[in-house]
Amino acid sequence: MAYIRRNDKSFGIKQTPKETLEKWYYLMALGRTLDERAPNYLKQAIGWSYHAPYAGHDGIQLAIGQIFEKNIDHLFPYYRDMLTAISAGMTGEEIILNGISKATDPSSGGRHMSNHFAKPEWNVHNVSSCTGNHTQQASGVGRAFKRYNHKGVVISSQGESSVSEGYVYEAINGASNEELPVIFVFQDNGYGISVPKKDQTANRKAANNFLGFKNLQVFHCNGKDVFDSMNTMSEAKKWVIENQKPAIVHASCVRIHSHSNSDRHELYRDKGELEYVQAADPLAKYRRMLVNYGRFTEDELNAIDEKVKQEVKAAHKAALAAPDPDPKSIYDFLFPDAYAAGKFGNGVHTETGTPVKLIEALNTTLKEEFRSNPDTFIWGQDMANKDKGGIFNVSKGLQQEFGPERVFNGPIAEDYILGTANGMSRYSDKLRLVVEGAEFADYFWPAMEQFVDSAHDYWRSNGKFSPNITIRLASGGYIGGGLYHSQNIESALASIPGVRIVYPSFADDAAGLLRTSIRSKGITVFMEPKALYNSPKAATVVPDGFEVPFGKARIRRQGTDLSIITYGNTTHMSIDAAERLEKEFGYKVEVVDIRSLVPLDKETIIASVKKTSKALIVHEDKVFAGFGGELAAIVAEEAFTYLDGPVMRVGATNTPVGFNRILEAAILPNEQKIFDAALSLIKY
Amino acid sequence: MAKKEIKAALIYSFATKKTSTAAKLIKDNLKELTLKEIDAESINANDLEAFDLLIVGAATWFDGELPTFWDEQIPALEDINLKGKRVALFGIGNQVDYPEHFGDSIGLLADVFTSTGAAIIGPTSTEGYTFEDSKSVKNNQFVGLMLDFENQHNLNESRIKSWCNQIKKEV
Repeated sequence: MAYIRRNDKSFGIKQTPKETLEKWYYLMALGRTLDERAPNYLKQAIGWSYHAPYAGHDGIQLAIGQIFEKNIDHLFPYYRDMLTAISAGMTGEEIILNGISKATDPSSGGRHMSNHFAKPEWNVHNVSSCTGNHTQQASGVGRAFKRYNHKGVVISSQGESSVSEGYVYEAINGASNEELPVIFVFQDNGYGISVPKKDQTANRKAANNFLGFKNLQVFHCNGKDVFDSMNTMSEAKKWVIENQKPAIVHASCVRIHSHSNSDRHELYRDKGELEYVQAADPLAKYRRMLVNYGRFTEDELNAIDEKVKQEVKAAHKAALAAPDPDPKSIYDFLFPDAYAAGKFGNGVHTETGTPVKLIEALNTTLKEEFRSNPDTFIWGQDMANKDKGGIFNVSKGLQQEFGPERVFNGPIAEDYILGTANGMSRYSDKLRLVVEGAEFADYFWPAMEQFVDSAHDYWRSNGKFSPNITIRLASGGYIGGGLYHSQNIESALASIPGVRIVYPSFADDAAGLLRTSIRSKGITVFMEPKALYNSPKAATVVPDGFEVPFGKARIRRQGTDLSIITYGNTTHMSIDAAERLEKEFGYKVEVVDIRSLVPLDKETIIASVKKTSKALIVHEDKVFAGFGGELAAIVAEEAFTYLDGPVMRVGATNTPVGFNRILEAAILPNEQKIFDAALSLIKY
Repeated sequence: MAKKEIKAALIYSFATKKTSTAAKLIKDNLKELTLKEIDAESINANDLEAFDLLIVGAATWFDGELPTFWDEQIPALEDINLKGKRVALFGIGNQVDYPEHFGDSIGLLADVFTSTGAAIIGPTSTEGYTFEDSKSVKNNQFVGLMLDFENQHNLNESRIKSWCNQIKKEV
């Protein structure tokens, strides 16, 4: 490749206008002053207990912030990106407010860890500490850019060590395959805390691992050099916008200090190495060049230093005076607004007519919602190939009607499926996204890190960002599916705050809850009992536009002798058992289908127990650590005085679900097991 | 050759250990030349135009970079005129720990000096080295002398001697 003179490039010490050089020096001096002051806040017990110093990354961080255009581009900084945030426009005071976790911290109001700088209103995103997982979200924003013909770039920034994470490969594979306008920046300082990069991957430069990826341009730059970083980031942005394809910028940096203030790098770096990286200090280099090339005098730079000093002093004073978060606010922004589904009261109806199967109810509702809202999208594995529409054909015909831009396949990468949904949500609050989270619910585990992270988002951003996603999962057994095809995962998911979980048993509830989920802000896990898709038992009349609000149980059978509290497949078994109990013994058993695990209709449950004085919790999932444990505890705590017997539970054994039908039957609950337990409790 | 015929400079950072050691050996092997030693950390680029031959040494920093003090000089070096002048480069690299960027520094410097009109002299064979890639390999040979203190320290003297003989012939 022909040599391009530095003096002929867009940015250089000789050709860059003085006011630009001055602005950069000011930003770099401001950043470094804050970077060096940050540990003092911990020493004085004020806060900022997590600080990852950026010194040594100055060039690339300045450049990322400078090429970022507010409200046009999207930026995903990582925890070391202090100068990136400052260069993008955040003030010193805002940086300190985040550092010391004040209520007015623009990133999270003191909820997220310090050194996680964000300004969601500019699209400088609040990201996870699960470092590098925002690459998937960046790809999601890139997809939204394409769908809405938005001209801008998404910039994702991370350290080189986190590139080792599988989700990063998924993100870049997806960006390459979908040709998404994303710049993935790897800031390479040679270490993942104490782990040298030779222990991460074979190539010295992790970006070179991606050279075989189609549609992807890999750029390298000296992240310690302002001009090389500015030229490279500008070139990368231009290339990405012109080609509408992704790029990686690998920036070689140094880490002058320890990983963070809980790390002591002298334990693994010798004096020679520390002197070596100090000699490469980017700020010192830039300052020398400004003077040596006659662009600034020492006095001029000293004046800027003094201005920065005074500014930081004032920022410090203002930040210290800022309010702390109110402990009463902890429940704020746990869930964004749900769609106010009031058309059918608490989600019941008395309509008569021809029953439709649960699968048809889902299919029809999806189509109705997609017709009424053009900002809806659905994807997942096996989603759309000719007549195949979803692994169980729930989404049959959607692609034919709504096109491949809105209905499309995802790769075999559950985390990417969910992570890009999170990312697309960041493009606009109006989007409503539906994903088939996995082929079967118990294949969902690879997506758990995006699930957990997405569950945090609304709370963590202090209400500034909510992923608006319906996660459909074909759940449960009774199909002879065995491991990864027949197991329930809702108890694990319910342990994570910030997501709604619904689990209908009948076609009408499935339609009503799906409509509410798609229309709501926030994340809803929509569990589909796949054994009931075509079951006549689950078929019902579904009124036009039927709606079921979240957190409203439905009494499927009235009774006075015992309350069975259940959901999903076991609702039907419980009803059958109740009918037998009445027929054979005359007992009147009430069956409460909770429909919604989170939020939970405690009022209906308690009222039922109050009436019957006996509670039997039934679900398909394991009894041990199943969601029934939570239900039982609620009944015990809040309805103890009404009870005339112990709260009992029926569910699966504490084993995996076996493939052979004999094993499956021995493991999962059934009508007889429920019948026996109910009878025993009634007689207690 | 007569000493007065060529005005030559030996440029390297005086603060370095390995590069300085190599420079000393080079000087010892080029007694026929009067070499003005210049500290690379305080170069005035314009002064270099006064020389006929520049012998320039640089280690490779990090993953294929010039030392910072050299890197800072590039914009100044690009604007001097070395047409008709010769530049001989010696570099320090580590082929075991940095096989993908072995001794990149003198390749980077070769590009810069070539852009000033200078002729690069003193290429050497890559035989005897094991590495994956190097910006210092052009036309299947190193643009100058390559030394590996960490892994082939015992070959330094013979390599320097041989290269200096080559330089003498070329000038």
